[in-house]
Amino acid sequence: MDLIIRNGRLVDGTGLPSFFGDLGIRDGRIVHVGGRIPGSATREIDAAGRVVAPGFIDPHTHFDVQLLWDGQARPALEHGITTVIPGNCSLSLAPLKAEHRPRLVGMFQQIEEMPDAAFDGAFEWTWESFDGYLEALRKKLAVNVAPLAGHSVIRLWVMGDAATERAADADELAAMQQLLRQCLEAGAIGLSTSFVDVDENLQPVPSRYAHFEELDALAAVLGEYGRMLQVVPEFYATDITLARVDQLAELSLKHQIPTTFSPLFDSAAVPDNVARVLARVSEQMARGARVWPQVQTRPIDISFTFEVASLLFAFTPGWYRTMRLPREQKIAALANPEHLDGLINEAEPDGNIERFDTIRVRAVIRREDAGLVGRTLGDIAAERGSTPARVMVAISLANDLQASFLAANLGHNDPARVGPLLAHPMVHIGASDAGAHIQSFSTYGDTGYLFSHFVRDRQDFTLEAAVKKITADTARIWGISDRGLLQPGLAADVTIFDPAIIDRGDEEAAFDMPEQGMRYVRHARGIEAVIVNGELAWSAEAGYSSAHSGQVVNA
Amino acid sequence: MAEATIERAVVTPGHDGSAELLLTIRYDNGGSGHVGLDAHGAARLFERCAATRLEDLVGQSWQHIMHILEQPGD
Repeated sequence: MDLIIRNGRLVDGTGLPSFFGDLGIRDGRIVHVGGRIPGSATREIDAAGRVVAPGFIDPHTHFDVQLLWDGQARPALEHGITTVIPGNCSLSLAPLKAEHRPRLVGMFQQIEEMPDAAFDGAFEWTWESFDGYLEALRKKLAVNVAPLAGHSVIRLWVMGDAATERAADADELAAMQQLLRQCLEAGAIGLSTSFVDVDENLQPVPSRYAHFEELDALAAVLGEYGRMLQVVPEFYATDITLARVDQLAELSLKHQIPTTFSPLFDSAAVPDNVARVLARVSEQMARGARVWPQVQTRPIDISFTFEVASLLFAFTPGWYRTMRLPREQKIAALANPEHLDGLINEAEPDGNIERFDTIRVRAVIRREDAGLVGRTLGDIAAERGSTPARVMVAISLANDLQASFLAANLGHNDPARVGPLLAHPMVHIGASDAGAHIQSFSTYGDTGYLFSHFVRDRQDFTLEAAVKKITADTARIWGISDRGLLQPGLAADVTIFDPAIIDRGDEEAAFDMPEQGMRYVRHARGIEAVIVNGELAWSAEAGYSSAHSGQVVNA
Repeated sequence: MAEATIERAVVTPGHDGSAELLLTIRYDNGGSGHVGLDAHGAARLFERCAATRLEDLVGQSWQHIMHILEQPGD
């Protein structure tokens, strides 16, 4: 035996009650579950008082680029994530002709906030084909990767500039089908597409120029392999989302494929959105279609700078008008005491404590302001004898409008609605977007938040049900047959955690992107060890290991 | 036939961490629907409608929204 995890509370992913015992691993596979394993192993871990669960699977990530220099997908791995699915939202790094790289980089920068440095020198572009990309990935993977092929890049490969001009003709459709077939043969777990995303010039991404016939033709190829179709629908536009559910259901039934759309949000602005969408999903599922809405666990925060006119200021016309001024005029207006007094009076003489008091400073560029990061405007205002609104303007001006602020928990934030939604049998927990939006907010730790908030605090789930949702259910939905359960013969992906303290850590700025680039992260709390294909990949005691046991997995 | 108009305009969080404008459109036949605009699109809608506050958007023609959706980078 290579590894024995002893005395753990085994939550095996089935949703059935947990039980106590040992877990044995040999040659990267689970060979024994439960009871007392006699003898010894090369390595033993004492998991007394800890949960031993299948490794978590994150079905909506954008680690495509990061994985090329960080095969551990930090910090996802330390949160217990052992398998990630990149290539969502129509964007993947392959198949991609060399001449189209700048266009893809632009899309990644716009949609995922991936900085220039991530593409410039952090890795070597050695591929054009999907299998070439996978070959580059495999060199030092520490997590498992089940990559999607992106519709936008397939379109770009076949149609060139016309990919963002028109529908495809018959020859182009056939070429796209053949290209997708090659991706699936190489190991793609499915195809992703988007109905909403725009590129760096605010123009629709290539996938949005496709007619339904094109999606139908590509779904037919997915049907040859039984693979997944992922889409980004027009969230909050309930009627259009319902139409998308119907479209996906038709494709699912016609081609016998699973489909998923992400994200589905709960919103106070459209309170019946979730109920109507789930009703339609239920109706289509009853017909035999597989249409899985992905719902994220974390609430939505809004981050903003004074560089862009955030709609948070639309409640106060003077502020919003000022924010829409050209940059230099905006700075001059905010620096003008008379103009600022007018804005403050409009916001409320107290600086609108109710609205601005709890907003936090996210980032600054002036070294001397570094101590402000993480503090609330109310706190800083009290210290300075000022008001939150005045403090916010002062910090922005001092930082050349580049200070960023965070208004937390503004959407998808009613636990009494989100908890039951996450527990709904037809809801697929996911949509973390890990690896994306890196300079706006942290997309890591959603699984910790699931356990701390919805299992431990609110008890919307049993521990067993929550584990099942992010392991066996995810594997089943995506057709990943040898993961997601603690079962002899399956791949030994295991997460060991303390159910009393598992959580996501506080959001913090990290400078661990290429060329010391900044991103927001959350570190894990309560995770003890993470095992990928039988190798210890991360532990609370020793951090990230040198193991590179991750694999490319597919359906 | 009467024209569809904006019945409600609210700010809501977008999935990318920015605030978005969510518009409720009321159609002539009594039906309604939602359309979301990002910060850039919303700023353009305010300009087109000569609006200074959210309430000013209420009652405006849906054609303004169509213009912005059809020419997103305009």
